[in-house]
Amino acid sequence: MTTENIGLFQAMNAKMNYLAERQKVISQNVANADTPGYVSQDLNKVDFGRMVERVTSDKTKQTVRLETSNAGHLLPVNEAATPKEGKNKSPYEVNPDGNAVVIEEQMVRASQNQLDYGLMLNIYRNNMDMIRTSLGKRQ
Amino acid sequence: MSSDLLGTMKISGSGMRVQSERVRVIAQNVANADTAPTKPGEKPYTRKTISFKNVLDKETGEKLVSVDKISQDAKSGYVKKYMPGHPAADADGYVEMPNVTSLIEMMDMKEASKSYEANMGIYTQTRDMANKTIDLMR
Repeated sequence: MTTENIGLFQAMNAKMNYLAERQKVISQNVANADTPGYVSQDLNKVDFGRMVERVTSDKTKQTVRLETSNAGHLLPVNEAATPKEGKNKSPYEVNPDGNAVVIEEQMVRASQNQLDYGLMLNIYRNNMDMIRTSLGKRQ
Repeated sequence: MSSDLLGTMKISGSGMRVQSERVRVIAQNVANADTAPTKPGEKPYTRKTISFKNVLDKETGEKLVSVDKISQDAKSGYVKKYMPGHPAADADGYVEMPNVTSLIEMMDMKEASKSYEANMGIYTQTRDMANKTIDLMR
């Protein structure tokens, strides 16, 4: 058994991947804070709440899935929606050289990202502990 | 650990690298703020400027930052100083001195160091995230 098949873990995995990717985009923005013509980017938001609902709630609420009648049929690998990178359309401030990165804004985003990531790790650990407890192991 | 976090550290590293290059150029300007020509008619030291660009690292797909070009600032004029005894003085006793303004250089330096710090902050944060992920194994 792997935890990959458990819905909640799948959702957490997706969120952690999203956060890691977002951290990358933020670091790109900060690194390019003095690049002429660079406009800051961000990932579009993914509704993870709905995703959790989809994988954890009863079957009636689940979205339509492909039926497999043959062992050779492939299912979609990833249930999570993939976020897209996009330019910030209304930058707070644009420098004379065309650069539109506000370091403070990026820093706030980065710390928010870090907090979210920490939250995910804690939930992950707690769930693992629950599984361990049910297996009869001492903490 | 996902490769995203490693990529993040690489990007922040490239940011720090270009900022230190910028500091190097500024140091060069400040050090040569009084470099006068040696003969009449010769040009003094010209202030150097640096600009960055966003490049795609084809190996990893990360968008890194790198130095675009280091060019000479020919727009701001040289300062004329009256020094009749100088070997490079013209007929009227004036010597052309470099177009380096220490105030501008200092402000540029400050901005470079702040940007460096910001990159460093992201780097430390990402490293913490990666460390915590590894700690899950304990």
